[in-house]
Amino acid sequence: MDELTREFLIESQEGLDRMERCLTDLEGRPQDAGLLAEIFRAVHTIKGTTGFLGFKRLEKLAHAGENLLGVLRDGKLTADGPTITGLLQLLDGLRAILKTIEDEDKEGEGEDAGLIGRLEELQGAKPDAAAGTVEQPVLAKAGARRAARRSARPRREVSAPLEALVAPVAAAESAPGSARSQGEPAAAPIAGTKPEVEGVAARPRAEGAGLGTGSAAESTLRVDVALLNRMMNLVGELVLTRNQVLQATASDPNMTLLSRRLDMVTADLRESVMKARMQPVSNIFSKMPRMVRDLSQSLGRRVRLEMEGQETELDKSLLEAIKDPLIHAVRNAMDHGIEPPDVRLAAGKEPEGNLKLRASQEGSHVVIEICDDGAGIAVDKIRRKAIERGLITVQRAAQQTDRELLQLIFLPGFSTASAVTTVSGRGVGMDVVRTNVERIGGKVEIESRAGKGTTLRLRIPLTLAIIPALIVRSVEQSFALPQGALSELVHIAADQAATAIEWMEGAPLYRLRGKLLPLVFLDRLLMPGREAATSAGRESFIAVLDADGRHFGLVVDGLADPEEVVVKPLSAVLKEIGLYSGATVLGSADLALILDPGAIAQRAGVTASAEEETGNAVEGEEKGGTGKGREYLLVEIAGRPVAVPLGVVLRIEQLPVSRIEWIGCRPVLHFGGQLLPVEDSGGVLESAQGDAGAQIIVVVCRESDRQVGIAVSHVLDVAAGGELFQAGSGQRTEGVTLLKQRVTGLVDLGGVAPLPVAEKGAGEAGAIAEAAR
Amino acid sequence: MSAGGSASARGEKAAAKLVEMCSVRVGTALFGVPIPHILEIVGSARPQPVPLAPAFVGGLVHYRGDVLTTVSLRRLLELPPREGTQDLLVLESAGGCFGLLVDSVGEVLSVSPSDYEPNPCTMDERRRALFGGAYKLKSGLLAMLDPERLDPMRLSGSRAA
Repeated sequence: MDELTREFLIESQEGLDRMERCLTDLEGRPQDAGLLAEIFRAVHTIKGTTGFLGFKRLEKLAHAGENLLGVLRDGKLTADGPTITGLLQLLDGLRAILKTIEDEDKEGEGEDAGLIGRLEELQGAKPDAAAGTVEQPVLAKAGARRAARRSARPRREVSAPLEALVAPVAAAESAPGSARSQGEPAAAPIAGTKPEVEGVAARPRAEGAGLGTGSAAESTLRVDVALLNRMMNLVGELVLTRNQVLQATASDPNMTLLSRRLDMVTADLRESVMKARMQPVSNIFSKMPRMVRDLSQSLGRRVRLEMEGQETELDKSLLEAIKDPLIHAVRNAMDHGIEPPDVRLAAGKEPEGNLKLRASQEGSHVVIEICDDGAGIAVDKIRRKAIERGLITVQRAAQQTDRELLQLIFLPGFSTASAVTTVSGRGVGMDVVRTNVERIGGKVEIESRAGKGTTLRLRIPLTLAIIPALIVRSVEQSFALPQGALSELVHIAADQAATAIEWMEGAPLYRLRGKLLPLVFLDRLLMPGREAATSAGRESFIAVLDADGRHFGLVVDGLADPEEVVVKPLSAVLKEIGLYSGATVLGSADLALILDPGAIAQRAGVTASAEEETGNAVEGEEKGGTGKGREYLLVEIAGRPVAVPLGVVLRIEQLPVSRIEWIGCRPVLHFGGQLLPVEDSGGVLESAQGDAGAQIIVVVCRESDRQVGIAVSHVLDVAAGGELFQAGSGQRTEGVTLLKQRVTGLVDLGGVAPLPVAEKGAGEAGAIAEAAR
Repeated sequence: MSAGGSASARGEKAAAKLVEMCSVRVGTALFGVPIPHILEIVGSARPQPVPLAPAFVGGLVHYRGDVLTTVSLRRLLELPPREGTQDLLVLESAGGCFGLLVDSVGEVLSVSPSDYEPNPCTMDERRRALFGGAYKLKSGLLAMLDPERLDPMRLSGSRAA
């Protein structure tokens, strides 16, 4: 296939994608001239270019579509349901031909007379109206039917395709440009499409619509994904080498400046390459309106689709990976979640169901929520079915909480049971959704309240190739533990070891803030034959992990620094072991296996403990109530409870007050060359200052590209917070949240004064920012 | 990496097409690995052990940005572990690259295909699965290791079966 055809295919696909989005929007706003102009342009560009390339069949079909669109655009016909359906069929027809061209390099033998006829019929209401189409001045006298059949190209068209081919990126411009030159009224509406933001699926790539976007289009370039992948790999290598250089030169003052520079450049380069791979989620969200439209027609539902956060960006490969799970989830929500209108009315709901897709970035993850206000999932029925199918025992079922039972729908056994899907709401292939998401290091969470609706949350890491990990030591080796699963660390000093870990019939447990936490000894798990030297009398650490809804502590011998590790795949033989998700090269040039927390929990037989359930149930209730609960760390500063968003908390340090040093009157903490500003608004430090042996607690948080510490008196709890709205205006309030039914202030991290830095992003700040990522 | 001494010793056979073999030593035994399959020879490797891995896995090594699984010939032949470092051959098989850990890498031998004989039928079946036959040298037999058969994926398959 030659370069021109390839260009044409890519251009056309993009044009049709835009057209699809606009068509579904058009249904809600049939009078929107901007939308019509955009759709018209997509078809027009295809028609123009196709004539030049000699794809007659495609040209004919596009021509018929263009005629109909011309009538619509001129306001002589209104875009009603059947018209839009017809246009969607046109879209599918054009796509099918493009696909054939892509596969076979020719447009195939198919017959489009039926579709063309239908398009003419739709337009046929006022056949003479087509004569007014601006793009057909030569045919001004000709009826639309004749125009459709006519194979000779109007002269006006020749210049458009030429422009499109000479400067393919600017192709979108040529159409509105030519329209304007003829005094076409469509020009104004095009310009007017930009400010129109209230639209449900506001065009994510508005650049195609604007008139003054020529410069943006000219400054972009298509790049082969394989090249980007290779660049990412090379950057990964560079990160490794940098880590090694940093470790090797740490003690050499002459090298400090150079290695810092290397550090900074590497960080910037990595970010740039990662950015190059990022794409907005709108790329997959934009497929949804059409799907929802088609599904609601075939399922007899009325659904209003809302989409939020489409500009959120995600690595291209990850975006591809979540496409299917997302489609599946939306289909499930439509099929099993949202009830038919009559059922909804009977249940006292609006007949029109609400389906909300929301994307947002939370720390190093992108969260995608699929939220419906449908029937929800009846947990009792899941319980009954699970017992029936032998997935759990009656005894276990009785012990399990609603939240745990909900997790059962992710079991493969549930996916095939049609009986379950009809009664419980969901379940078709939910295991596939989870498997796909977990394969890319993501997580799936589900919340559901019978009668109120269901929220499915996909938590996706921003990138696959490089993950933040904590390096732990066990069996005289280093292992990398992904930070994503890590919720906290507990240090057990040698003299506490005998009492801190308790045993119940051979099962080790630790009392974490009064609750029992099941423990897994990494050394015993990895070396089953070797009866590990008893943990008594030895220093150890408990990494408290949360994986697949399982909460447990992993006991390791030692901790090293957190590091950003470059994930290297393992050979199939080692993947089969099932405990490792990859390997990595550490800064010390040693290799470390990356542990898979979920697999470890499964291997060790961990399920959520009974103690934890009650806590979670309450949390779940709170979350369900507000719909979008965020988790906060509740701390006490000078006698007042204050909340810190859990997402930004990196770690909690307990240290002697003597560790705090002062720059003038500013308290700072010093960790191996890195300086951390400490905020002490509550006077916690000052009051502890007198007693040299006093311990203080510092919550280390991430704030944009730096880290800051907050001195607190106590760490109280972790809880889900609710939103508060200003009375009267109904606007969401900032800086406060509703925690445990009490209005709680949030710590203002941005308000912590920055440290003096030599150069933006250089030196410590760069290193800290790097560590934070 | 020129032809070894044994080749010139058999000067009269040099006319025949010679095959180059890298000799490797494990314990007291000498084996040959066909040169075309060897990507690189790395001296004194320190493989990172992998807990719970099959016995024949010698650990992981870092090789040009990739993490390679290694096969320990010593463990494969069920020899006792040995003190000190081992040499690593990076081999290429149909399934990808992997490492082969041996006690030491010796000289390159040129052998003539006419000296080749397949595995003897009396050989232990598990051993037979590793070797591709033997070359009759003046100094003794040189058993040929077949990289395809040493591929960790294949080894784990045959062990499981």
